[in-house]
Amino acid sequence: MARALLLRIARYPPPLPTSSAPALPLPRPRLLPQSLLRRHAPSQSQLRLLSSLSSSSASTTSSDAPSDGGGGGHKGAEGEDAKTGGCVDYLGMSDEELMEQCEMGTFKASGPGGQHRNKRESAVRLKHLPTGIIAQAVEDRSQHKNRASALSRLRTLIALKVRRPINLQNYTPPVELLQILPLKSTIRGKDVGPQIGPNNSKFSPGMQALLDLLFAVEGSVSDAAKILGLSTGALSRLILSDDSLRTAANELRASKGLKPLR
Amino acid sequence: MAMLAFSSNAFLRPNPPGPHLRRLLLPKPLSSAAALTPPTPQADPTGGSNPDPDPTPLFLRPASHRVPAAALAAFRLRAAALVPPSAPHLRRHLRWLLADAAANDPASGSDPALLRASLDDLEALWLRHVRGRRPFQYVVGNEHWRDLVVAVREGVLIPRPETEAVVDIVKRVEGFEDGWWADLGTGSGAIAVAVARELGAAGRVFATDVSEVALEVARLNVQRYGVQDKVEIRHGSWFEPLEDVKGKLMGVISNPPYIPNVDLPGLQPEVGWHEPKLALDGGKDGLEHLLHLCEGLSSVLKPGGFFVFETNGDKQSEFLVDLISTKWSSFRNVEAVLDFADIKRFVTGYRR
Repeated sequence: MARALLLRIARYPPPLPTSSAPALPLPRPRLLPQSLLRRHAPSQSQLRLLSSLSSSSASTTSSDAPSDGGGGGHKGAEGEDAKTGGCVDYLGMSDEELMEQCEMGTFKASGPGGQHRNKRESAVRLKHLPTGIIAQAVEDRSQHKNRASALSRLRTLIALKVRRPINLQNYTPPVELLQILPLKSTIRGKDVGPQIGPNNSKFSPGMQALLDLLFAVEGSVSDAAKILGLSTGALSRLILSDDSLRTAANELRASKGLKPLR
Repeated sequence: MAMLAFSSNAFLRPNPPGPHLRRLLLPKPLSSAAALTPPTPQADPTGGSNPDPDPTPLFLRPASHRVPAAALAAFRLRAAALVPPSAPHLRRHLRWLLADAAANDPASGSDPALLRASLDDLEALWLRHVRGRRPFQYVVGNEHWRDLVVAVREGVLIPRPETEAVVDIVKRVEGFEDGWWADLGTGSGAIAVAVARELGAAGRVFATDVSEVALEVARLNVQRYGVQDKVEIRHGSWFEPLEDVKGKLMGVISNPPYIPNVDLPGLQPEVGWHEPKLALDGGKDGLEHLLHLCEGLSSVLKPGGFFVFETNGDKQSEFLVDLISTKWSSFRNVEAVLDFADIKRFVTGYRR
């Protein structure tokens, strides 16, 4: 999240004062805790972050505001927020319901807006308040479409970062997870239908359930594979098939002292 | 383009080009960006009124110009050199201009490239944007708004991203699909078309405007999206053309001019120099037209009918909410609705 906040600052057209945060011409200061602003004022790192933006925005599944590796995700992983916010099925919500939990910012400077302004700057930044996860989109000419793609990125990020506890004693994989498994899985019934791949919007809920399981088994791919009726190799291949899933799985394994999957 | 049914001079404006812009249009070597920054603040206030050589929006013109890839690349460089460091968004505009001009994906790198305008025309368009502060949307003749590509031109307000939410607000009204709606001061027709696309078989939008130019553009947009059977375009001021549907409307939508007239001189050049004052000037406190609309509501809405107005924001919305809920007893659930920047941008409510 911290990096995303910095990005927002770096994107403002005029050079910003680096000394005192309250002087920033932000439209809604409550979007950004001022402590964060103060901490991240130096301009050197802004350049570095801008370049990291361009590289990460090339990927379709990961967000522009990502790789904070911390933010909402780690909080959930540490179990602090997980008790309150982590159990909620955000991905099961409709776009509208999810939107209502978000604050939408753009890279526009403050001002009266509306008829006063002609700015075709269409960047959209969504902050999901319950988790603090930030997703943004900048490519399209329509703000509406950018909002839609920011929302879909938000879903991916929620899947990657929000861990929900699982009781392994009586665990049954949810259907979203079964749908992303290869057909050879022995627990996958015929009625589950064809395998859903990373480009399908329904991949995110399955990915979230898979990471939940992996988290519950302390990052052990072989344990998770047994539960899912797959060989360890087959589950590894599934995890490696999507860059953001692989990254999240490896971060999770690293936090448990395990070697990354390759 | 059969849908471009109106005559070829439909996009011409009555006013002759102002002398300043003529001068701006004279070919100059495109070499130094420094000479051009900050953008010339001396543009004629009648600004964007000089007609393009071709009045059809760029993206709707036939792709009849074969241009060698090398010449196109050279143009791209010359045009990019005009972008001052203070205005990086112009780089994006250049990319979009070329995207609209190209018949196929500019990234495909076909040689020769097939364009919808000659390089000379594109250069003139680009100059008027960068130097004359002519809005990019008038340069390319469209605005990407919601999931629509809305045709626009001088004389018509460019639909704003804030206004996109009006359609979502309408969609939340119970049973909106089969109601009759009015979009008062429809301008480009963006709202009317977007709402019409969400309506069911019985649903209808009456789109009114006092400006003939606006109605022509609205007609084009209605045709381009094939909603002629849902949108009825009517000429006249606010409620005037709606006598026959009085008391029958499920909803009234309007994004009327709401800028306080004292604020007009300070507007961004793209807006103040080029967009129609008719669509911006809200008179004293910006409330002149909004008050007129509020007063007419109860006679056109059927009982239970809904209204949504866009406003200048916070203070104006608060004032209107207070006025409507205290002055008249005939409305309920009157409230201000936030836009994406958390400004109280809309006023909504129901007739009792």
